[in-house]
Amino acid sequence: MTKNPYDVLKVSPNASDDEIKRAYREMSRKYHPDANVNNPLADLAEEKFKEIQEAYNIIMREREQSSYSYGGNGSGNNNYHSDSYNYGSGNYGDYQRNRSYQGNGGYDEPQNAQMQAVYNFINNRRFQDALNVLNRMSMRSAQWYYLSAMANMGLGNNILAKDHAGQAVNMEPNNMQYRQLLNQLSWNSQRYQSNPYGGNYANGNNTCGTGNMCCDLWILDTLCECTGGDLCSCI
Amino acid sequence: MFGYVTANELELKVKEFKKYKAYYCGLCQCLKNKYGVSGQMTLTYDMTFLILLLTSLYESETKANSFRCMIHPVKRTAVLQNEFTEYAADMNLILSYYHLKDDWEDERKFFALTGSTLLKRKVKMAVGQYPRQAAVIQRELNQLSEFEKTKSDNLDEPAGCFGRLMEELFVYKEDCWEEVLRRMGFYLGKFIYLMDAYEDLPEDMKKGNYNPLRKMSENECYEESCKEIFCMMMGECAAAFEKLPCVLDVDILRNILYDGIWKQYQKFQEKKSEELTDDKKSI
Repeated sequence: MTKNPYDVLKVSPNASDDEIKRAYREMSRKYHPDANVNNPLADLAEEKFKEIQEAYNIIMREREQSSYSYGGNGSGNNNYHSDSYNYGSGNYGDYQRNRSYQGNGGYDEPQNAQMQAVYNFINNRRFQDALNVLNRMSMRSAQWYYLSAMANMGLGNNILAKDHAGQAVNMEPNNMQYRQLLNQLSWNSQRYQSNPYGGNYANGNNTCGTGNMCCDLWILDTLCECTGGDLCSCI
Repeated sequence: MFGYVTANELELKVKEFKKYKAYYCGLCQCLKNKYGVSGQMTLTYDMTFLILLLTSLYESETKANSFRCMIHPVKRTAVLQNEFTEYAADMNLILSYYHLKDDWEDERKFFALTGSTLLKRKVKMAVGQYPRQAAVIQRELNQLSEFEKTKSDNLDEPAGCFGRLMEELFVYKEDCWEEVLRRMGFYLGKFIYLMDAYEDLPEDMKKGNYNPLRKMSENECYEESCKEIFCMMMGECAAAFEKLPCVLDVDILRNILYDGIWKQYQKFQEKKSEELTDDKKSI
């Protein structure tokens, strides 16, 4: 689509998500095929309806993307793609679909043919195949845990994925790629916990913290780093 | 099912609460009309959430009605019903049936046998109407009982079965929202399964039953880990929800997803801390 999606929905790019949803609703009610059955211009209306739907999806995707893109600060190549969590037919999440694993600087160059196969499977969203190869390997390096986290995330095994991402970070604390994956896996949970819609999951003491000051500080620091700043340079 | 997906009524506005109740009563009445009292017994709040969600997403025509209900015979009860009410009633029935059948086969609970026998004839019709959903429910519940037999302590495995089951129910029609609805249903299903396991753990330990959290509960930071896992599941679920263009009744939906869903958990925590203080007193 060549048109600006915000123009299609007639909203400002600064509009809140809820404003966009309302605008989408208003427009889609008007152009919905069911509402234009007897309209001689029904074809045109349907076309417009599709355009509105597409514009809405583009905006939502872009916004999700920008909330993830805290790595690299504009370097571009580390942005997490909008579709990063998307569920395709039977696939429970998809990381960095457009990111290539070959020849990106060398520090995480696949060590052998098996690792290469795992990378390829993940790039092609064949997560179960990737996992099968991983499970046959005996050496559990940081890279192994990193790839296992990615494959498990793709299959919707988010508990194990986070575990293994954490393991990879523990083994190689200086690897930014591993850290980013761990951050990404915690991102929605953190956003959920700081939601403005109430919520009483904080064990009765209705604060938005985790109940553990160190943990709160770590989360806050991570969030700051996500947006490019830094609260405590030592964490 | 389990009834975790419910609203925190105290935080709802009066008119929101009435609407929520009317959808709930609408589902109850639909179950009774279609499947009789034994169908009505399967009523849950979880499916009321599904009605609200699909209504908000598709904005289908909803009919308001009122009737006299057996439980509150004096006052007329307001009900709201639409195409999703019937869908939710059918899904509720299919799910309850297979669940009861499983219970009977695995644990020989007498109640489960009578329940599944009562529903058997009625469920056939619903299964014929929704072959996609029914097939997945059956497949995933079978897979789940396999994991239970092998006593899997990989939480993602059994919870994933319930997640895939739930995501199938969320897909009312295969259109442009399918992907997001699947993601939402999948993580909500995982949340429900794990929350159920969390609540059942003390009793399962006593009786020596399988519980996926058993191994984890030996860790010192068991409580924190559980909470973190619950937040992870709801984080993914809510993130998917926020991508849907839901405007109608969005306050009720958010109340459920961000607040009401923790009601049982909260109650459980209160009960635990009471028991703890009681123990201290007796010492």
